[in-house]
Amino acid sequence: MGYAFTEEQEIIQQTAREFTQGCIEPVAAEIDRAAIHPQELVQSLAEQGFMGMFLPEEFDGAEAGFLCYALIVEEISKSSGAVASILNHHAAMAAYSINAWGSKEQKDQYLSAMCTGEILGTFAFAEPDAAPGVGEAKVIARKDGDSYSLNGRKCYVANGGEAGVYIVVALTDPDVGTKGMSAFLVDGDTPGLSVARTIKKMGLRGCQSAEMLFDNVKIPANNLLGAEGDGLAIVAKAQAVAGVAEGAMVVGIAQAAMDDAVKYGMQRIQFKQPIARFPAIQTMLAEMATNIHMLRLAVYHAAGLIDNDEPFTAEAAMIKLFAARIGQSALIDVVQIEGGYGYSEDMAASRFFRDIKGVITKNSSIDFPETVIAKSLLD
Amino acid sequence: MQDLTITPEQQTIQQKAREFTAKYIIPVDREWDERGGFHEFILAENKEVGLNCMAVPVEYGGPGYDSVTQSLVAEEWGYGCAAFATTLAGNGLSSYPLAIAGTDEQKKIYYGRLVDGGMGGFALTEPGAGSDAGSCATVAKLDGDEWVINGTKCFATTCGHASIMVVFASTDPDKGVKGLSAFIVEKEREGVVVGAEEHKMGIRSSNTVELRLKNVRVPKTHLLGKEGEGMKIAMKTLDMARPIVASVSVGIARRALDEAVQFAKTYLDVNGKPIAKHQAVAFKLADMATQVEAARQLVRSALRLKDMGVPYTKEAAMAKTFCTDTAMRVTSEAVELMGDYGYSKDSVVEKLMRDAKVTQIYEGTNQVQRIVISGLLLNS
Repeated sequence: MGYAFTEEQEIIQQTAREFTQGCIEPVAAEIDRAAIHPQELVQSLAEQGFMGMFLPEEFDGAEAGFLCYALIVEEISKSSGAVASILNHHAAMAAYSINAWGSKEQKDQYLSAMCTGEILGTFAFAEPDAAPGVGEAKVIARKDGDSYSLNGRKCYVANGGEAGVYIVVALTDPDVGTKGMSAFLVDGDTPGLSVARTIKKMGLRGCQSAEMLFDNVKIPANNLLGAEGDGLAIVAKAQAVAGVAEGAMVVGIAQAAMDDAVKYGMQRIQFKQPIARFPAIQTMLAEMATNIHMLRLAVYHAAGLIDNDEPFTAEAAMIKLFAARIGQSALIDVVQIEGGYGYSEDMAASRFFRDIKGVITKNSSIDFPETVIAKSLLD
Repeated sequence: MQDLTITPEQQTIQQKAREFTAKYIIPVDREWDERGGFHEFILAENKEVGLNCMAVPVEYGGPGYDSVTQSLVAEEWGYGCAAFATTLAGNGLSSYPLAIAGTDEQKKIYYGRLVDGGMGGFALTEPGAGSDAGSCATVAKLDGDEWVINGTKCFATTCGHASIMVVFASTDPDKGVKGLSAFIVEKEREGVVVGAEEHKMGIRSSNTVELRLKNVRVPKTHLLGKEGEGMKIAMKTLDMARPIVASVSVGIARRALDEAVQFAKTYLDVNGKPIAKHQAVAFKLADMATQVEAARQLVRSALRLKDMGVPYTKEAAMAKTFCTDTAMRVTSEAVELMGDYGYSKDSVVEKLMRDAKVTQIYEGTNQVQRIVISGLLLNS
């Protein structure tokens, strides 16, 4: 398509494409059906260097930049949204935050192990029935000497039960409400931390979603990420970075689905010709091709901003807004083109339809993307 | 929620359907979605309350409801679960060919089964004949006093459990669309073989099967209308069925709206206030509600034309397209509004969204509806 990639970026994209075709595509439908965390596959992602793609070489990352990471996520999403989602929560949410906010000791302790795949990371932010820090289940962290103890419940924790480290956002100062939230690094095997239940969902089914119980989870005080009160800022930054990567997921899923619809449309004969010859079908394909192209450009652009250390919050929100608008509509049309066959659970189209919804559904966002974009205009 | 635009009799039946749905469908909607298989138990319950053969006229033992009343019931079923609604409303659909072309004798045979609580089936689609129904490869040949039918149907709704069906077959393959004919086929006829069941993304407890017909013999009198009238009968059947599918879709959308409203009123934002207090959320709900109401009124106006006995093909196609598109849009928006909870199976809206997608596809894809609508616009 003539994007101005460096040679390194092209090689990495090609590597990701071949890896996805060879190792993910053959098992993608089964991952969805079984809804089990694909441990071996995640290990191979690490071996490929994907899990630390944009992280510093100092910590065993590839230091190849966020654009390279976005290219990988796009390729993986062409076969499995679930695998891309596992990677995103690990790299774009957790590892990114540790690298951005962590102390030298914290980075030493976690980042190398996260790049090599020894430790899977994730965020634990959402809570049942209310925004985090508000409802009855809210997680409160109480300081006691040189440790904190955490109590409460988190839900929709991606990679929940599988992760080796959770960035847990908890209330440290309940009096000031959510402004008094802080982020903590909590090891998966810390006593008192348990999976209350696995939450079933519409799609992205190989990426676990868990409700997690914090029952006097005691962690050292120096596991605080950033300073007390930095919690929401850490989440906002992570969600913005992840938003760009999720844009890459939507590009990948929609592209693969569109390719599938084109193939189907050329093979399916009705009224004595391939249905792809009908303007009604072509209109749908043209619309989605245009939208995917625009979203892809926006994702690559924002990834470039991240790599150049320039502000990207508004751009990330625009990606979220646009991806939500065009992502599902592309899949609604893909299944429409493939008709009764596309609606079958055995076909890729129906899986893509379910998966893309999970990417664009606002994950307990602090702000609506519209609010973030408007703020950048008005302030 | 009392609807003052309908008659007291219609309100009574609407209420009955609402109670039926609340009692028998809503409590088990997600369970049946999860496990799949056919929700056979609902047939007896539906018969018990007298909603099993809505479309059957009084003289054949049915309630003889007008079209608006049938649509009110279909909306309630759709509110409960689109899979159940597809089964229950499908019983009506499968009997429309009788209303259109059946003789008194044929009606007695067919309606009799429905009144007894049996299911009807409608087998038109084939692997090579979807939107292009004229490419039908199933063939019927006259042999003495019997028709011998051979072929394979697919995506046949409820046909794995139907006691009697209307099957479309070509009696003159050279004539294409004009060679298509419709036949009554009982399940117990030798050679009727139910094939593989479809595993669908949504309406998972609705039964969708392949139906194979191997030298199936039916009496000469089982031909509906005349030879070559199959396409006409199929089109008129779909005219009648479309507002019902549209009504089911309105029910799906209304359920998603109710779920979203409930969520918005109870889910607290970072400041401890319900998210419904946000204008962005409140306006979204307003838009969803407006679309649901517009969809419902479009069905009603199409059906009033039908009950008045004037042409309503275009309006029926418009209602089918608009209502099913509305169901898709509103359910999708509900999932998004409800976030992780909406996307999880703890909530029903992700199921509503999967279910809604099929309504844009079956009973004539929305592309076929646009062919119908534009054809009538441009050729009148």
